[in-house]
Amino acid sequence: MDGILAFAPQTGERPAPNAAAQQSAALVNRAKAGDRAAFAELIETHYDFIYRCACKWTGKKSDAEDIAQEVCIKLATAIQQFDGRSAFTSWLYRVTLNMVRDMQRARGRRDRNVDAFSLVHPEDDPGDQEDSTAAKEIWMAVSALPDKQREAIMLVYGEDMSHAEAGVIMGCKEATVSWHVHEAKKTLRGLL
Amino acid sequence: MTDEALLKLKTLHVGAPSPEARKLALNAAMVAFEDAQSKRPRAAATGVMDAPKRWFSNRWNLGAALAGLGTVTAAVVLLPLGTQYATMNSRAPSVDKPLATTVATSTAPVSTNAAGGTVSLQVEEGGKTALKQPVMEKPMPPKDAVPVAANAPATESDEARLAVTSDALAAMPAAPTAKIAGQVAMRSGVANMEAPTVAPMASTSLGYAAMEPSGDSFQKFDENRVKITKDEPVSTFSIDVDTASYSYVRGLIEAGSLPEPDAVRLEEMINYFPYDYPAPATADTPFKATMQVFPTPWNKKTQLLEIGIKGYVQPPSERKPEALTFLIDTSGSMDEPNKLPLLKRSFSLLVDNLQPSDTVSIVTYAGSAGLVLKPTKASDKAAILSALDNLEAGGSTAGAEGIELAYQVAAQNKVADGVNRVILATDGDFNVGIDTPDELKTFIKSKRDEGISLSVLGFGRGNLDDALMQALAQNGNGNASYIDNLHEAQKVLVEEAGSTFITIAKDVKVQVEFNPAQVSEYRLIGYETRALNREDFNNDAVDAGEIGEGHTVTALYEITPAGSGADLNDPLRYGSSAQATGVSDELGFLKLRYKAPDGDVSKLITAPITKDLVTDDVAKVGNDQRFAAAVAAFGQKLKGSLYGTGMSWQGIIDLANGAKGADPDGYRAEFVQLVKLTSALSPDHGGVAVPSDAPPPPSVEPPSID
Repeated sequence: MDGILAFAPQTGERPAPNAAAQQSAALVNRAKAGDRAAFAELIETHYDFIYRCACKWTGKKSDAEDIAQEVCIKLATAIQQFDGRSAFTSWLYRVTLNMVRDMQRARGRRDRNVDAFSLVHPEDDPGDQEDSTAAKEIWMAVSALPDKQREAIMLVYGEDMSHAEAGVIMGCKEATVSWHVHEAKKTLRGLL
Repeated sequence: MTDEALLKLKTLHVGAPSPEARKLALNAAMVAFEDAQSKRPRAAATGVMDAPKRWFSNRWNLGAALAGLGTVTAAVVLLPLGTQYATMNSRAPSVDKPLATTVATSTAPVSTNAAGGTVSLQVEEGGKTALKQPVMEKPMPPKDAVPVAANAPATESDEARLAVTSDALAAMPAAPTAKIAGQVAMRSGVANMEAPTVAPMASTSLGYAAMEPSGDSFQKFDENRVKITKDEPVSTFSIDVDTASYSYVRGLIEAGSLPEPDAVRLEEMINYFPYDYPAPATADTPFKATMQVFPTPWNKKTQLLEIGIKGYVQPPSERKPEALTFLIDTSGSMDEPNKLPLLKRSFSLLVDNLQPSDTVSIVTYAGSAGLVLKPTKASDKAAILSALDNLEAGGSTAGAEGIELAYQVAAQNKVADGVNRVILATDGDFNVGIDTPDELKTFIKSKRDEGISLSVLGFGRGNLDDALMQALAQNGNGNASYIDNLHEAQKVLVEEAGSTFITIAKDVKVQVEFNPAQVSEYRLIGYETRALNREDFNNDAVDAGEIGEGHTVTALYEITPAGSGADLNDPLRYGSSAQATGVSDELGFLKLRYKAPDGDVSKLITAPITKDLVTDDVAKVGNDQRFAAAVAAFGQKLKGSLYGTGMSWQGIIDLANGAKGADPDGYRAEFVQLVKLTSALSPDHGGVAVPSDAPPPPSVEPPSID
């Protein structure tokens, strides 16, 4: 069950990978069987993860909240389709990405106030503030990429995944991921 | 180089989600989960599941989203009071209300009603007690096992259904008691809300078993009880000019269903109709009260005290300019013929009748949010109508835009000496950008203190949050109406636009003190949701209802004359049973308080209820009085009141027919037709009810992820 590390919530606390994976798997099975408490726990445990993922992709808190909620609702039925082939969190990531994509298609990816990323306070580290502004700009550029390229870049660079791990989420081979990354860089080279 | 830059993406730090959003999402997920579970084959019921009343948070942000799931109440086993098991779709009326049991199985097809209307399997029970029977403590348990097989189109599901419910229902008494004669009509397969209910209605509210959970939510209230004058001589309430209850009930009955009791608010039913009370001559006293006492049609020994209030009617030349801001729900769930399209036409009617000096702005929320039309003079009708026409339903939630924007626009364009009003039109999604209902109410209150009032228009069914609509309208010094068809729009927004938008008196309170020497018992008909404490009457800080221009407001009390022998309460055995000897032979004393629209200090109007107001002959009383009584009788019977259900439907029809009068707009004739329809849906004396001919709905697949 590889790849759990990459999805741990950014609270800094990371449960031992195997324990977390096992815990998730057990909960998922119980939830699939109709155990209400298990499902509730599943949602509780993963809500932050879903929200943060949605935040990173939409850049807007309220959109992220909406998407997170929709994903939670969808899980109620979609969970039946999780077959355990991948890590639960990989699968969940994909579900969230799909929801992001659906919403953005429906609403049009207008440039709105990107408010999801907290800026570093100037007191904490004056140097960092420039960095985070730059990061935001890069994010905007990446957001404008075609879907697959954007996904590849965000997963590999934003979430620090290997191409293989990203492939699990994107539903394609590792080599395909590499190719998307390559194409994306070509486009971005001009902008960065 | 690019790699280095791209790695910066990792540094983007995302904050924690808000606890509110988290909670809402969790709630929504649980609802969806329970929903989904109900559709799956279940080996055994997993035991007691409680259903917290989460209807509110569901609706708060979900709207279109849940409409996509189909708000199915299929999985519900609702059992009457006294049994432990209550699982329900959180949109159904609350657990402690005895309801029809709805039993569902996974294999029963479920229709995703695009309206977001709820659908349910029903075991409906015909409970018919003889009219004289005392109120039952416990409603009849449903006859379940046997009739399940009776006329079920879905056969193989029966076993599953029985299996599911067998343990749940094991504790229940097997059959209804012998006293109950009636049909048990079983309709398996899912019926959409529009299908007629099959069971005849029991005549007591506790035995009321014929309604379907509608997905619309109403404030719960207990009917007003008979009060003993000696113990509680003073009755206080706020007036209510909303008419939403009547139009909602009418819409439901015309579609073939009976409303839930909480949806039937007697005062709104009665107040729907215009009455010809004498109007005040000048605007100095903005309204005038007239009273009459006459025999109760449904009880030979009691009388009805009718208090009629009529608001001042402005002559057209005095018409002040109006600045109206439409705040329109454009979420996906509004995409139904009786919602956004009807809304557009309704507003068009309104706009057509505005004066050139009036201003209109349009703000939308929940879909394409934002300012759709800048403040535009009504002289430029084309621009306004075109903006209305271009509204589209779609999207789910929109966050911060919405109500704050609407009020901002309203404030920026405030007319100094005129009407400033936000008109909120929705099918029940109140995700206007303020997260909780309490915050929303507070916000609206503060705006109304700044001079901007609020009217709420409800459309459609299945998502309606009537309780919130009422609450917001009350807080906004406005009114709530329900628009079920274009006629109603015509009435609310054109014919009665004056009363709807122009307030002539606010915080209007009524207080009646009865004289125990003359009236031994009394009962206020309706106004349960407007009750006030005795001390609230003189407390100007307590909010009450508003009267609009030309409004008529009617309040009815059923009173028991002292010494008539009709008292429901026995005299005390140990207390002093001597009759109170008042010096007066007045029946009672009426007090009204009101404030000027811009004022803060209330003024008082009083009038004694004297014996010369009493008539002994119903025939001698005017049409308005008799008609109001007929509407009261209808409402009481419809909701299964504890009192006054002795009249037959035909009796009510005759009474109403005889009191139609000129009826230029046909509202009274329409009422008579409504009573006839209701009598067909729920006949007296165990007649054959209208059979269900709802077609079996299409089956639905759970959504799959791609």
